[in-house]
Amino acid sequence: MASIHKLLAGTYIHRNFLKPRAALHPFMGILSIDFSSSHLQEPVASADRVSQQKSEEVLQEDQHKDVAGDITSPDKASELSFDKAIREEAVEHLRRLKNEIVAHWIGPEGRPLQEVQVVWQFREKEDLEKWMVTSDKTIGGRSEIFLKMAKNNQSALLFGTLSSEAPQDGDSSQSGYCAMLSRVRRGSFERRLSYDWSRFNTLYLRVRGDGRPWMVNIKQGTDFIQRKSQMYSYFMFTRGGPYWQEVRIPFSKFFFSNQGKIRDVQGSLILDKISSIGFTLADKVDGPFFLEIDFIGVFTDPAHTEEFAYENSPAISPGLFK
Amino acid sequence: MSWVQARLLAKGLSRGWGGICRTGLSEAPVAQVSLRAPRGLHCSAVTHKDDTWLIPQPSEPQKPNKVPVVHEELFGSSANGERDKKSFTHAVRSFGEHNVRKRGHVDFIYLALRKMPEFGVERDLSVYNLLLDVFPKEVFRPRNFIQRIFVHYPRQQECGLAVLDQMERHGVMPDRETEFLLIQIFGRHSYPMLKFLRMKLWLTRFKNINPYPVPRDLPQDPLDLAKLSLRHMEPDLSAKVTVYQMSLPSDSTGIDPIQPHIVGIQSPDQQAALARHNPSKPVFVEGPFPLWLRNKCVYYHILRADLPSPEEEKVEEIPEEWNLYYPMQLDLEYSRSGWDNYEFDVDKVTEGPVFAMCMAGAHDQATLVKWIQGLQETNPTLAQVPVIFRLARSTGELLTISRQEEQSPPHSPPKGQEEDEAFQAQQQQGQS
Repeated sequence: MASIHKLLAGTYIHRNFLKPRAALHPFMGILSIDFSSSHLQEPVASADRVSQQKSEEVLQEDQHKDVAGDITSPDKASELSFDKAIREEAVEHLRRLKNEIVAHWIGPEGRPLQEVQVVWQFREKEDLEKWMVTSDKTIGGRSEIFLKMAKNNQSALLFGTLSSEAPQDGDSSQSGYCAMLSRVRRGSFERRLSYDWSRFNTLYLRVRGDGRPWMVNIKQGTDFIQRKSQMYSYFMFTRGGPYWQEVRIPFSKFFFSNQGKIRDVQGSLILDKISSIGFTLADKVDGPFFLEIDFIGVFTDPAHTEEFAYENSPAISPGLFK
Repeated sequence: MSWVQARLLAKGLSRGWGGICRTGLSEAPVAQVSLRAPRGLHCSAVTHKDDTWLIPQPSEPQKPNKVPVVHEELFGSSANGERDKKSFTHAVRSFGEHNVRKRGHVDFIYLALRKMPEFGVERDLSVYNLLLDVFPKEVFRPRNFIQRIFVHYPRQQECGLAVLDQMERHGVMPDRETEFLLIQIFGRHSYPMLKFLRMKLWLTRFKNINPYPVPRDLPQDPLDLAKLSLRHMEPDLSAKVTVYQMSLPSDSTGIDPIQPHIVGIQSPDQQAALARHNPSKPVFVEGPFPLWLRNKCVYYHILRADLPSPEEEKVEEIPEEWNLYYPMQLDLEYSRSGWDNYEFDVDKVTEGPVFAMCMAGAHDQATLVKWIQGLQETNPTLAQVPVIFRLARSTGELLTISRQEEQSPPHSPPKGQEEDEAFQAQQQQGQS
């Protein structure tokens, strides 16, 4: 009787012990991508999925095995590779740090000083990894957005469907947006890096759209204070048609907005810590859309002397004018 | 209460409680003996079924009934059922007639805002002013400093904000009458007045920032719409729009016109490029591609060729003695140094040249063949060039210019060859 009870209790504990492992494995998969690729000889992209599957199979085998606590063998195998994985990660980060230090001798961000600079281009599959797409599906809407390389791997195609049907959550009355954001660049030891565009004064985009108006948002990378909701925006009007369009937006035209609303107190965009750029479509028209982007660059337009396009009004913000 | 009654009550209650406890513990089907809940002193007269009286019954599946809204009948009824500005203004005015104190004006204004698109008045400033007129005046203005600290009449201010929100959403600029109404209703330091100031500032700032403006009221006639959109797409101002085929006016026989309209555009540079095009290389008719004008999507087709290979690019050399008075070609070396170099060091996406664009009522090959035949009148060299049609299977499919390549293999090599041979045969027959 007592032994049976102990057996039952033992199984229960065993199962409980293994469950958190299953939760840990996804994280292990992300951190130890190198490990799984070397261990299993699989492509890196599906490595974490494969490692999860393998771990699940291992768990199921263990549950069927004898309950004496015989779980040492898979642990031993993973421990060895875990050490190796950590070492490889450390080496990788130190290499990145070295590159960053050496790059200062060549120029800012490792490129020689130029009047024009291409910041993002879409020539390989890896260039798409620097971007992510969101739509109002996150709040329950119906818009869809996808990003892929266009023909001949020469440009990126952003396409999808916009739907302004409001989600039925009793709170939102309007909906319908799709966005593409650039991921924050990570340097050595996963530090957030920002761009320094203080030498430039205009943003240059080579795009081909379908006539819909887009909004370009720039986020500053000052990590000192949490600034997730603050950004500087301006509109980009696409012409439509089969010709490529060059859009030049001076940085003085970007207006400040917080939590999605234009604020009364306006200040100019400070260019020495830019963390990300994004494109948003929210023109309240339901239907499919597409936008092809060739590359995004910054340059100095010597004819543009405006510092900031918006001034504060004493009627709306009287506190500034006392 | 006497001790007899108390003992009876206690017995009844204990019996009842015991029964409940027993049913709770045992899962076996107990109740052949129907355990009726004790009719205690405080129970209602209704007897519940034994095992379901603790569990509420789910109600019948609710049919999605439309909740009747107050005052909705004002918008439903009109002289001839027509929904236009006149009936809308009549409905708004009739609200105040029978309702001197304007009870329920907030709900009525929300309802009217929802009904505006149906009546087609969402871009009419006078209608918005009329709607703001529904508010009782001078009542919601704060009169002392305590009322000024707190949001005075918040629901009404929210309603005023909703009216201004809808104006902003449809791009309607408020005017002095709106300002006067807002001051009269809410006072100068209220949220609707603040929103009005913000609208005055930002709507005027962003009125003309579109470098490719599209008129608010798009033409209803598809031919005019096609002309407008072709002009919108073509950056060359000297391009010529030609109507190759007009659609027959819709008769009583059918709604669809038998002949779809075909409108094309071609600039003189494109004409010259097509004349120079090598007849051994094919040209492609691709489409239909979508173009959005405000909220309307139209489709167009293009005639283009592939990139010429580098060996074929020959620049016409003008002989030096052609003009003795001034040189036709200057080869000055203006080398750009680092501070003057404005070229991005990326190879721009190069695609084959576009020779012409068109918009047609139908997107099938027969219509486009007529377009090509019409183009041949101004571009005689097009007769010798093989034309391959790369069309999408249905207009609903979203096609972009660069995605064409993926879809063309099923189309062009097997079909295209036959088509273009047949087409060449047609052309030769037509010529001879």
